[in-house]
Amino acid sequence: MMAGTPEVIPSKKAEAKVESKSSFVKRMSGQKQLMLMSLPILLYVFVFSYYPIWGWTMAFQNYKPARSFGQQEWVGLKHFKFLFSDDTFLMVLRNTIGMSVINMVLGFATAIIFAILLNEIKQKLFKRSIQTISYLPHFLSWIIVTGIVANSLSVDSGIVNVLLMKLGFINEPIMWLSEPKYFWGIVGASHVWKEVGWNAIIYLAAITSIDPSLYEAAEIDGANRYQKMLFVTLPGIKSIVIILFIMNLGWILDAGFEVQYLLGNGVVVDWSQTIDIFVLKYGLQIGNYSLATAAGIFKTVVSITLIFAANTIAKRFGEDRLI
Amino acid sequence: MRTRTLKMEPVVFHTLNSLFMIVIAIVTLYPFLNTLAISLNAGNDTIRGGIYLLPRVWTDQNYRAVFAGGTIYHAFWISVARTVLATVLSLFLTSMLAYAISRKEYVFRKPITIVVVMTMYFNAGLIPSYFLIRDLHLLNNFLVYIIPGLISAFNMIVIRTYIQTLPEGLIESAKIDGAGDFRTFISIILPLCQPVLATVALFVAVGQWNAWFDTFLYASSKQDLSTLQYELMKLLSSSMLSNSNAAVSSGADPGAARNMVTPMSIRAAITIVASLPILVVYPFLQRYFVHGMQLGSVKE
Amino acid sequence: MGIQTKKKLWGSMSLVLALSIALVGCSDNNGGNGATTNSTSNNGSGEVAEETKPITLSAFISTPNQAPTSDNRIYKKIKDELGVSLNMEFLVGDLQQKLGVMIAGGDYPDLITADTKLVAAGAVIPLEELIEEHAPNLKKHYAKAWNKMKDSSDGHIYWLPNYGVVTGEPKFNSYSGPAFWIQKDILKEAGYPTPKTLDDYTKLIRDYAAKHPTIDGQPTIGYTTLAFDWRTFPLLNAPEHLTGHPNDGGVVVDDGVASVFADKEISKRYYKELNALYNEGLMDKEAFIQNYDQYLAKLSSGRVLGMFDQHWNFQPAEDTLVAQGKIGKTYVGFPLVYDTSIKDWYLEQPVPNLNNGFGISVDAKDPVRIIKFLDALMDEKYQKLLNWGEEGVDYMVGDDGKFYRTPEQRKQQEDPTWKLANRADAFLGALPKMEGTFSDGNATSAGLQPQEFYESLKPEDKELLDAYGHKTWTDFFSTPPENNVFYPAWQIDLIEGSDASIANKQMSDASLKYLPKAITAKSAEFDAAWNEYVEAYKKINVKAYEDRINEQIQWRIQNWTSGE
Repeated sequence: MMAGTPEVIPSKKAEAKVESKSSFVKRMSGQKQLMLMSLPILLYVFVFSYYPIWGWTMAFQNYKPARSFGQQEWVGLKHFKFLFSDDTFLMVLRNTIGMSVINMVLGFATAIIFAILLNEIKQKLFKRSIQTISYLPHFLSWIIVTGIVANSLSVDSGIVNVLLMKLGFINEPIMWLSEPKYFWGIVGASHVWKEVGWNAIIYLAAITSIDPSLYEAAEIDGANRYQKMLFVTLPGIKSIVIILFIMNLGWILDAGFEVQYLLGNGVVVDWSQTIDIFVLKYGLQIGNYSLATAAGIFKTVVSITLIFAANTIAKRFGEDRLI
Repeated sequence: MRTRTLKMEPVVFHTLNSLFMIVIAIVTLYPFLNTLAISLNAGNDTIRGGIYLLPRVWTDQNYRAVFAGGTIYHAFWISVARTVLATVLSLFLTSMLAYAISRKEYVFRKPITIVVVMTMYFNAGLIPSYFLIRDLHLLNNFLVYIIPGLISAFNMIVIRTYIQTLPEGLIESAKIDGAGDFRTFISIILPLCQPVLATVALFVAVGQWNAWFDTFLYASSKQDLSTLQYELMKLLSSSMLSNSNAAVSSGADPGAARNMVTPMSIRAAITIVASLPILVVYPFLQRYFVHGMQLGSVKE
Repeated sequence: MGIQTKKKLWGSMSLVLALSIALVGCSDNNGGNGATTNSTSNNGSGEVAEETKPITLSAFISTPNQAPTSDNRIYKKIKDELGVSLNMEFLVGDLQQKLGVMIAGGDYPDLITADTKLVAAGAVIPLEELIEEHAPNLKKHYAKAWNKMKDSSDGHIYWLPNYGVVTGEPKFNSYSGPAFWIQKDILKEAGYPTPKTLDDYTKLIRDYAAKHPTIDGQPTIGYTTLAFDWRTFPLLNAPEHLTGHPNDGGVVVDDGVASVFADKEISKRYYKELNALYNEGLMDKEAFIQNYDQYLAKLSSGRVLGMFDQHWNFQPAEDTLVAQGKIGKTYVGFPLVYDTSIKDWYLEQPVPNLNNGFGISVDAKDPVRIIKFLDALMDEKYQKLLNWGEEGVDYMVGDDGKFYRTPEQRKQQEDPTWKLANRADAFLGALPKMEGTFSDGNATSAGLQPQEFYESLKPEDKELLDAYGHKTWTDFFSTPPENNVFYPAWQIDLIEGSDASIANKQMSDASLKYLPKAITAKSAEFDAAWNEYVEAYKKINVKAYEDRINEQIQWRIQNWTSGE
C-alpha cells in the first residue's frame, strides 16, 4: 500500500463506519498487498479444510468404504436419531461437558498463576530450569501418565493414600478410582499435572510483550508486587486469555478419550465415558463411519454456536474478540 | 505499617514463591525421571512394579532394542527435515495471514477470520481427507508432511492477538515512512513478534516432531519416508505383539528367558529417545519467551 | 495349545494382539546344503524351478511386526530359491482406520491378511480354483478344513487360515488357554490334591490364606480377576467352562442352540462365590479397577493365590517370578467344573483359524505365481526352514533323527535383534503352516518337540509333575472330544454395525458395570444387585445377537458337515 493513500488511517472508528459500495471498492484497491498476503492462503484453507466436508454426507448414509458415492445407501437422520435416543448419549454428554469445564477452569487458572509467579522469579537460571522441567510431562503419552496416576492412587501402598494416612486425614486407604465422585477431579488433576507447564508457555510469551514502562509507572504510584501482578501483568495478558478462553469454549465437547479410557473401569463407567469413547465404541470400532460423522457434525454445531455466542458476549463487554 | 509490609514482603514472597516453584519442579520432573528409570531397568523386573527414581536391575537392553532395526537413523533425518521445513514455512505463512487480519482497515478481515477460525471446529473425517491427499498426488510423497498442516487457525489467532497488543504507532510510523504492508510485516512485525513466534514455532515443531498418523495413513508403504515417531510406534506395537506371541504360541521355544524387553520398558525407552532432541533444541527457543526481549530495544 | 488361545480374544478390541501368533520359526544360514538336497527329494515339486523369474510381492500384514533386516537370511534364501522378494507392510496404529482408507482408495497390495471387510469390499479373489489347479500342497493341507474355509456369504474361499490345521500327531506340552490357576506352593503344602470343582478350589485357597495371612511381608490376596481394556475374559468367561462347555465366547451352545449365559443362573453361581470370597476378605479389593500392569505386578509379587485367566495373558508375570527364582509362586491350571458330574472341556481340539491368514487381492498381477509361491512354502523343506531354521546352524539332529537345539542355539532364538536378521517370523505368522509333526516324526516347531519341552522344566516343575504322574501341563485336562461341527461360535462374524454387534458391545458394557457391584455387595444384598444386572440385560437386544449366532450355527451345520 502506498503511503499517502488517504483512507488508511487505522482507528477503531474505521471499522464501525458504514461505508458505501464505492468506498469499499476504493478501500479494496488500496489493500492489494494485504490481499496478496492473505487470499492465496485462504484458497489453501478452502482446499484442505472445506473441500473435504463433502464427507459429511456420510452421516446421512450407511457408508461403506467400498462403494462409490452414487452407490451409497441414504438413511436420512437415522444416525442422529440413534445418537440422541440412546440413554447413554445424554450421560456421556454430561460427562464430557463436566470434565471439559473442570479441565478448562483448572487448566486456565493453574497455567496463568504459574506463568505470573514464574515471571516473578528473577534468578535467570532458576527460572529457565523450572520452566523447562515443568513442561516435560507434556511429552509423555497418556498411557505412561495414567499408569503413574493409577499407581499413585492404589490402595496398595499408593503414594496418595500413604501420604494422607501419615498426615492423619484418613484412617484407611481410599479406592480413588472406584468412586464415581472423584473421577472428574482425578482427570482434571491429571491434565493439570501433564499440561500446566506447556500451557503456561503462551502466557509467558504474552507477558514479555508488556511494556516495561507500565511497571515503572505503577511503582512510582506506590504499587506493591501483588498490585503490579494484579494491575499490570494480568491486564497485560488479558486479551490472550480471553481469546484462548473463547477458542477453548468451542472444544467443550472434546474432553478426549485416552485418559478416561485408561483410568476408567466398569465401576465408574457412568461418570467416565465421554462422547469420544462412545463414538469409538459404537462407531469406529465396528466400522460405523456414519455414526462417527454424525457425532462430529453435532459437535461442530455446538462448537460454532458456542464461540459465536461467547464472541458476542465479549463484544458486548468491550473485551477482545476472537472474530 | 504499610512501609513495613513493603520491606518484609519481597523476602517472604521470594522464599515462598521459590519453594512453590521447587515443588512444581519436583512434581513435574517425577514422571519423566520415572520413565527414565524404567527405560534403564530390565523389562521383566519392571513388571513387578515399584520402580520409582532409580532402576533396580540396570540394563541397556531397552535402548538396544530401539536401535536394533537400524531403520531409525534414516527416519530421524526425515523427521528433522519435516520439522524444520514445516516449521519455517508454517511460521511465515501463518504470521503473514495473522498480520493481514490484524489490520483493522482490511476489508476482508472479518470474513477471513471467520473462515479460518471455523476450521478449528470441524473435521471432515479420515476418508475424505485421504481422497484429497490422493488426488493431489501427495501419497507416498515427502510433501504430505509439509503441505496439509501449514496453516493452523489456533496459531494464527495467537499471533494476531499478540500483534494487536503492539503499539499501533509503530505500524503507522512505518507507513508514513512509505513502507507497504509486506515490508511493514517483514521489517517491523516479525522482529517485534519474536516471543510469540518462538512460542508458535515450538507448537508447530513439537506437533511435527511427534506426528506419526500422517505417515501411517499416507506414506506407510514407503520406508524411505518413514519418520522417527512412526518407527518408534512400529517398535512399540511389535513389542506388544511379540510379548503376547511368546506367551501364546505353543511352538515358541520353551524355557529360555523371555520378555527381557516388555512393552512397558520399550515404551519408556521410546519416550526418552523421542523427547531428547526436543529437549536439546528447547533452550534456543526458550530464551525468547522466558526472558523476553526488551521491547524497547526494538522499538526505536 | 497355542491355537486355541487365540479365540479367547473373541469380540475383543484386541486387533493387534489377537491375530498373529507367530509360531516361532527358526533361522537359517547359507551353510545348509544338506537340508536342500534332503527336501528336494521328498517333495518332488520340480515345477518350482521353472517359476523362479524374480518378482516382488507386496503384502500387508495386519499385525504389528518389526520389519526384518534387509539382509535377513531366510528371506534371502526364499528369494534365491523361489525368486520372490517380499515388500511387507505391517500394521501400526488402528487396523480399522487403515482398512477404511485402503478400501476407500481401492488400492491393495498383492497379499493381504484377512478381514471380513475386505470380502465385503470385493478386495480379494476367490482361491478355490487356483488351489485346485496350482497348489497341491495347500490342497492337501486344507483338505479337512476345506468347507469351513468357504465364506458364509457366497461360498468362496478367500483366506488361507494360518493356524489350527494340524498335521501328523501333535503333542501339546504347555497349556496357554483358560483355567483356574493356583500357586504351586499351595498344591505342595496340601499334598498335591487335584481340585475338581470350584468348591475344592476355593477351599484350597481359603485354607492356605488362613495359614498364610501374609506372603513376603505383604497381605495375601486369595483371588483376583481382571477387566481392563479388551482383557475382560478373566472376569467374563469362567461360567461357560464351569458348566462343561467349550469356549464359545459369549454364548453356550446346547443341542445346536446358542444362548447368552452372562445373566443366567450358571453365571450367578460363580459370581456369588466371588461375592462370598469378597466378603471374607479373600477377593482382591482392587480387582475391578486395576489395569493390566497392576495386575501383572500383583501376580509377580507372589501373593495372589489364584485366578481364572488364560495362561498367555499372565505369562509375563510368571516369567518374572521365574527370574526371581520363585517357582513355587507360579501357577498350575485346573479345569474346574461346578460338580463332578460335569466333564471339563477346557482343552480342545484345534480349530482352523478361519478369517485369518493371507488372501490374494484383486490388484495382484499374477495370482497363479502367488499361489504357487505359497504352495512351495507349504513343502516340508520350507516348513522346516521357517520353523526350525537350518540344520547344524539353528538346530541339530540327534542320532535318533530327532531335532534338538543346543543351549546356545536356544539362547539365540530369544534375541530379538538376532531374530530380525535370521528368522522370517513376521511372514510366517500369516502364512499357512503345518502344526503337529513332520513325516519324519519331528515336531513342526521346537515348542512342540517333547524333548525340548522337558529340557525347559525347572526341578520344582519336574517334582510337581512327577507327584501327579503327569508328563506335561496339558495332562491336567481331560482329552477333548471331537469339536461340534459348528464350533467355535466366537468366530462368527457379527457384521459390522449390525444390531447384533451393537448388542454385543452393550452386553459387555453392562457386565463390566454391574458384575463388580454384585461381587462387592454385602452377602445379603447380592441377590438384589444381581437382579439389577439381569434387568440391565433385559434392556439390551440380546435376541439380535443370539439370532445371528444361531443362524450361522445352522448354516454351518448344513454346509460344513460334509467336509468332516
